Amino acid sequence: MIRFALRRILAAIPIGLLVTLGVFALVFAMPGDPLRELAGDKPVPPSVLAAERAQFHLDRPLLVQYGLYLKDIVTGHFGETFDGRDIGEQLRLRIPVTVKLALLANAFQFTAGMLFGSYAGFRRNGAVDRLLMLATLFVLAVPFLVLAFAAQYLFGVQLKWFPVSGTADGFPMSYLLPAMVIGLLSFAGLARVLRTSIVETVNSDFVKTARAKGIGEQRVLWRHILPNALLPVITFIGIDLAGIFAGAVLTESIFNLPGLGQFLFQAIQLKEGGVVVLLSTLAFISFIVINLIVDLLYGVLDPRVRSG
Amino acid sequence: MTIDLDGRGTRSLTPGEVLLEVENLSVDFDTRHGRLRAVDGVSWRVRAGETLAILGESGSGKSVSVQALTGILEMPPGRIVSGTARYRGDDLIAMEARSRRRVVGDRITMVFQDSLSALNPVQTVGRQIAECFEVHRGLSRREAMRRAAEMLDRVRIPAARQRVKDYPHEFSGGMRQRVMLAMALALDPDVLIADEPTTALDVTVQAQVLELIADLQTDRQMGVVLITHDIGVVADVADTVVVMYAGHVVERAAARELLDHPVHPYTEGLLGSIPSADLKGHDLPTIPGTPPSLRTVPSGCAFRTRCPLTVAECASAVPPLIPVGPGRETACIRRTSEVPGVTIPHSRLAAGGA
Repeated sequence: MIRFALRRILAAIPIGLLVTLGVFALVFAMPGDPLRELAGDKPVPPSVLAAERAQFHLDRPLLVQYGLYLKDIVTGHFGETFDGRDIGEQLRLRIPVTVKLALLANAFQFTAGMLFGSYAGFRRNGAVDRLLMLATLFVLAVPFLVLAFAAQYLFGVQLKWFPVSGTADGFPMSYLLPAMVIGLLSFAGLARVLRTSIVETVNSDFVKTARAKGIGEQRVLWRHILPNALLPVITFIGIDLAGIFAGAVLTESIFNLPGLGQFLFQAIQLKEGGVVVLLSTLAFISFIVINLIVDLLYGVLDPRVRSG
Repeated sequence: MTIDLDGRGTRSLTPGEVLLEVENLSVDFDTRHGRLRAVDGVSWRVRAGETLAILGESGSGKSVSVQALTGILEMPPGRIVSGTARYRGDDLIAMEARSRRRVVGDRITMVFQDSLSALNPVQTVGRQIAECFEVHRGLSRREAMRRAAEMLDRVRIPAARQRVKDYPHEFSGGMRQRVMLAMALALDPDVLIADEPTTALDVTVQAQVLELIADLQTDRQMGVVLITHDIGVVADVADTVVVMYAGHVVERAAARELLDHPVHPYTEGLLGSIPSADLKGHDLPTIPGTPPSLRTVPSGCAFRTRCPLTVAECASAVPPLIPVGPGRETACIRRTSEVPGVTIPHSRLAAGGA
């Protein structure tokens, strides 16, 4: 188990380097001079500009810049943003925001997904099952942006049930609406995976064997059907959790939540290569860690994976 | 072998006692193409110590009939239209699910064909065997596991004590089938229903598993219902045979008589298509055509479109089972009187085989 985890982590390092370098190269390739844009119409003395450039390593070639940013990350010297905010401090403030949003959104998604998925699976072709099919189509057809703005307008501006944006009302009030929007758009996928898995498991031979053993339906459900039917769901949840960061960029920007996603969005706009590399490294690490946890969990729950 | 059994189980079986008697069982399936009859008026019985083989091709309704009477058939789409299945007098079909579960899984147990898919992949084999003891005998987890290890040992799995902790995929096909057997025999059932128990196994292992069933059977006069499409298996272990075709029983006879003198043209065709040394250099005879799908069962005798003896009357009505000798019946209007000279009264069982 430990060997497996170590191997996975070591294998992830070169991939992580490539991914973050790629992201950085894209930011580097964006047209315009970040510092000059930041200054706006104000004339900036060339000496100041040069000093700033040196501070942010902007006067060095691509690979050297990347290397220096990486060194900063590894040694923990995150430095400052272009507008003079301490990056370490920013992380401390912003990580909890993103984590809270993600947890709440996933709570909505899992609750709805598990409930609807298992109900549809056991009552195949029933009303809930058909409704779920429709919901999936709806979710595929309606872009996140549309739903987010619509919810913001309806529940925030018109009905005033939830704050329109920002975190002034604290947790959980400020997070409820964005979390529900994410949950609504993602629960159907989970529900369908669970539904299909349950339908397959219920019809499998070993469930027939269990019934032939004369054990009660409750026991068949909890001991034989669910432990098998939930396996694919774990994989789904893993992939889903790992994608949180990508979703956070959009959600936090729309609902003005000061989390990591919003930070990344701002950094890209300002062409702040250092911050982008730092945040994509963070995203990558969380992706790898979550995937590793899911794989290990899978190994614990499915003996076939363990010995394979 | 002494396994203490509560209540029902301690009643010992009298040799020859009828344990399970199925009468006029009919099962329909609701499909998109309307209602199809998978099993039509099937009757058979199994006595203590006897091995009854239900012989038929896939789709002949042999598995569906036993799944229906044990209550594990999915209903819907399946539906029992008529019939009774009496276990020592009590009708399993009319019974409530709760009371049926006290019989099926305890006094009547089952073994399935594909042991890899028939065992729960994420539970150790020990837990799966122990579950029988826990549910039906109320044993503690620890005690049930100890019994499970004993059962594995009884079906001759080496190092049983260690192997109870292994998962199904860690066993070979033959060993896994033994695990299935251990599970089915754990509570010392009166009737074992084995649905193609050896089909997925190679010939050597097949013989071992059949031998094992026979050994355990003689221990306690257990009745065995063996569902198979393999005439070789029938020849090896069966006392009596019921031949099924397209949901109907077409012939019923003692195994020896059936193999020596098949009466129904279908049985005859099956026996004729067994490879043998005499046929060297010749094409293997086959029954022309394919078994009908349930949607296209011919009117009258379902076999008539493939039968060499067919005449116009065959299409008019489903032929009933007609006695053609002592203890033997055939559903063929062309073979009512011409029973080839067999008059041995009963099976090996009656001759004191068990």
